[in-house]
Amino acid sequence: MKDMFIESLKNLFRKPATVKYPLEPSPTPSNYRGLIVYKEELCIFCTKCEMVCPPGAIRFTYNEDGSKEFHYNPYLCIYCGECVRACPKPGCLIQVEETAPSATEEELPNWDDLERKADESKKRWLQARKKKKS
Amino acid sequence: MGNRITIPFGSQHVALPEPIRFVFQTENEKIVDVEVDVGYVHRGIEKACMTKFKYTQVGYVVARVCGLCAISHTLGYVTAVERLMNIEVPKKALYLRLLASELDRVHSHLLAMGHLAEVAGYENLFMHTFRDRELVMELQELVTGNRIQFDYVTVGGVNRDLTPEVEKELREKLKILQEKCLWLKDVFENDYTIKLRWKGVGVITPEMAIELNVVGPPARASELATDVRNEFNYLPFKEVGYKLITMKGGDIYARNMVRVEETLNSLDMLFNILDGMPEGDIKVPVKGLPEGEAFVRIEAPRGELFYYVKGSKKMVLDRLRIRVPTFANVPVMKELFIGMDYADVPATVISFDPCLSCTAR
Repeated sequence: MKDMFIESLKNLFRKPATVKYPLEPSPTPSNYRGLIVYKEELCIFCTKCEMVCPPGAIRFTYNEDGSKEFHYNPYLCIYCGECVRACPKPGCLIQVEETAPSATEEELPNWDDLERKADESKKRWLQARKKKKS
Repeated sequence: MGNRITIPFGSQHVALPEPIRFVFQTENEKIVDVEVDVGYVHRGIEKACMTKFKYTQVGYVVARVCGLCAISHTLGYVTAVERLMNIEVPKKALYLRLLASELDRVHSHLLAMGHLAEVAGYENLFMHTFRDRELVMELQELVTGNRIQFDYVTVGGVNRDLTPEVEKELREKLKILQEKCLWLKDVFENDYTIKLRWKGVGVITPEMAIELNVVGPPARASELATDVRNEFNYLPFKEVGYKLITMKGGDIYARNMVRVEETLNSLDMLFNILDGMPEGDIKVPVKGLPEGEAFVRIEAPRGELFYYVKGSKKMVLDRLRIRVPTFANVPVMKELFIGMDYADVPATVISFDPCLSCTAR
């Protein structure tokens, strides 16, 4: 009890243990798991990243001409890095040590719409491929 | 005698970090009857794991069951699937898993100790404990890349390797942490206020502990030598200097002291892990699909965690069942409350370190 009393008195004159965040910067520490960055010029469109992603934050939409488009939702992502490990092309997907920008309503991707679009376009694409084969 | 009064305790209460609800029937100060409801945060995770997610993704889903023992849940699931598929995990991956799991235990026990000090009215000690806990959180971030949701363990190994710089920083910070924990132990052991408040309150006798199947630190505080780390070989605990800790008394003070001793033992183990880290791969490729059923027991910070997995050569599992330590400890809580003063209830509940997001999942 005496120890605690002395320690408490000492604490009155110590620096605060917390970071005064809005006034002082709070940088992301090293080794932090942050955003996934995608480079289209390296991508071979194997859709392996879409298949392994646990929350479904990576989706591909299929265009009429058969090309695919990559979509990423940083606010749904859990930053596990499973896609980076699954990617067969080194450097196409990388994980950086940055956090996603704070979300405002204009910036939020309309993910429900996009998921629907991805499902429908994939179905169309599969049907077209079937027709071509037969 | 006096009137019967009904007192609801929870699901929102100042002393409770988690939504559990007790309805106490009291006669003056003495409790005569109690009802418990644990299902406030049900999220249907078991069902989601059996319908929506592939077996390789389920590890990340079950990590979201609980923030405090995230690594234990993933570890339980992953061990079960590895036993099912006969995957031999490299030794280095096992050691890294051990490192993450012991860091998690230290941070969870420090949280429990801090909360217990807070409900005893000792705000000062609570602040001290939580300030020191921040050190472990930083170490976890350094090793796994995140403070709470580690996503460190996958089927077949671990996701990240330990670089020499991280290892050096780990050693330095662990030494500071060990000193602080020794100081905390001294306070928790010898402080007059704490002894006055906790000694002889909420006593679980060894017979009661066996009969009502108590698990984790509360069981070990009642001289019951039950620890899954000692009984089940899911990680090489024996190689790194694991000690079984039991205490006499079975009251709140003994439960807290078990946690203190285990924290110090875990810190010793962490040094041994860093010293004896083997060379090799951190992951093996996984082929095939799970078939058959397996169950494993894991020592989570709160006690025995049970995982049952059933698969039939499909990407999605047939059944996943989780039994968490808090659920096993609810019956003895109920038993303890009868005949107790109402004023002792918050301290008793917190001394079990209940985790309701685990229980309801």
